Amino acid sequence: MKPVRDIGLLFQRYAVQLLRNPVWLIVGFSTPILYLVLFMPLLKHAVGSVGLSSGQVVDLFLPGILSLLAFASGIGLGFSTIFELKAGVIERFRVTPASRLAILTGPILATMMMMFVFDAVVVAVGFGVGFTVHWAGLAVLAVLLALLMTTVAAFSVATALVTKDISGFAAIVNGLNLPVLLLAGVLLPISLGPAWMRVIAHFNPLYYLVEASRVLAGGTLAAAAVWQAFAVLVPLCALVLAWATGVFRRAVA
Amino acid sequence: MRAVDNIITTQDLRKSFAARGGRVEAVRGVSIDVARGEIFGFLGPNGAGKTTTLRMLTTLLPIDSGTATVAGFDVARQPARVRTRIGYVSQLGGADELATGRENLILQGRLYGASRARVAPRAAALVELLDLAEFADRRVATYSGGQRRRLDIALGVVHEPPVLFLDEPTTGLDPQSRANLWDHIRALRDRGTTVFLTTHYLEEADVLCDRLMIMDHGQVVAEGTPRALKRQVAGDAIVISLRADDHGADNHGADNHGADNHGAGNHGAERAAPLLRTEPYVRELTTDDGQVRLYVDDGGTALPQLIRLLDSRGIGVRSISMSEPTLDDVFLRQTGRSLRDEGASDQKQEEVAA
Repeated sequence: MKPVRDIGLLFQRYAVQLLRNPVWLIVGFSTPILYLVLFMPLLKHAVGSVGLSSGQVVDLFLPGILSLLAFASGIGLGFSTIFELKAGVIERFRVTPASRLAILTGPILATMMMMFVFDAVVVAVGFGVGFTVHWAGLAVLAVLLALLMTTVAAFSVATALVTKDISGFAAIVNGLNLPVLLLAGVLLPISLGPAWMRVIAHFNPLYYLVEASRVLAGGTLAAAAVWQAFAVLVPLCALVLAWATGVFRRAVA
Repeated sequence: MRAVDNIITTQDLRKSFAARGGRVEAVRGVSIDVARGEIFGFLGPNGAGKTTTLRMLTTLLPIDSGTATVAGFDVARQPARVRTRIGYVSQLGGADELATGRENLILQGRLYGASRARVAPRAAALVELLDLAEFADRRVATYSGGQRRRLDIALGVVHEPPVLFLDEPTTGLDPQSRANLWDHIRALRDRGTTVFLTTHYLEEADVLCDRLMIMDHGQVVAEGTPRALKRQVAGDAIVISLRADDHGADNHGADNHGADNHGAGNHGAERAAPLLRTEPYVRELTTDDGQVRLYVDDGGTALPQLIRLLDSRGIGVRSISMSEPTLDDVFLRQTGRSLRDEGASDQKQEEVAA
């Protein structure tokens, strides 16, 4: 299968590029750790009055970090797309017979691999401070994380290809970041908000992931939040991938 | 006109882009025939539509109207087949900076479907051919401009395509690296690769290209070999400065300047002009300031004849100079503007349009 081979080649290429970039590696590994180290004490203090133990706090909070990481990993890919566009890399690939889907998905899969490495670090550190590991739940969660990351990454890459320059792209990404993160209940549960907020949240794909992640991390597989997350993310991912591949096929670079 | 062995053929190629204030017609009816095994150049100022045409031929940009056939396949209908038969090096290059030159070459070859085992010797051969050996295993980020361009070209031919497209291959290079790159491009041509390049350097078009097309505002304004194009302007220009005859010299001091000298020189020029004008090989003749300026088809053969003729009539020649017209003269005649005046200021415009 030629597309599979091409995906493999471009996955490998991108992964090597990531691993050879020391700045990226340092920031990539330190960010999830910082979330845990900086947010945990705050959250512990806030919910401490309710009488939750440190383990219970991390059980509540850690799935949100994993969801956040999925979103952040995906949305960042567009920046490298802009760089590769400016450097002529994408054009170099587009003129080869390499599968267009592979040019798009190679980097996405490499980013996904790195995301899972970071996720493993977060879970390991979390385990150290009392996180209860439910393997089956985490396995299903991994699938959802991959789906969301792929969706966001494809969206980010396609947006980068359409805007073509860093300032336009950065404006869109920054503009989306805050509402998407707040309306997903990553750090604070959305149930604390007023009714209108809870309604709007249902239009945010990240919301479904965060809701499902809490349930799954708690070890429950058969829950409404889980199948709802799949019902939203599977078609959305397919849709965004199709759009992004279309953008790639058309003359953009 | 159309030979059987044209490896690139286009008919009335057109492309326009949406822009502020309506559509911009970047390419307005370009028809090209490129023969197998030649270095074919597209010369024109920035924004002339060269890059846009190249991008259509390399499947990167959809064609609005007209047809294009490259290496035997229709660009619009069989882009995948065209892609396997062409190499393309953009102005940007696009090698991976964090990978070595050799790693870049091997990945590129594998993207064209070859196995690693088959690509490795090919990469090694290209490293030799393009003088990359010294730094092939260093990361591309450490390369100089010239080294990088040679790697870019190696990436473009790793799959041994019959046609190689080069977009402004020597822009930004110092003269030495430029001449070096020309040698490498010629070497590729000598090994049978057809090279199609764009340039806005007159010298590059003149020295490197076997045949070229001059483009302006999306249209072809002239086409031919550099030699034929230049000859088409007016042949070679010869300027003969005539010595004042004995009479003139007696009347006026040798160190006199200005109007007096004019009269003296003009006397010789006045005698020479009608004599030379009747010669069959003289195409145009003007006299100016004691000088006769004339155009001939072939300066090399005309020069001795001119000197002999003037000598036989006792007209003294002070100096004689011959200059070949440049491609700029060709561009000037076709467009009324000089290519040398066109700076890099439109560079951005072309990039945006592309």
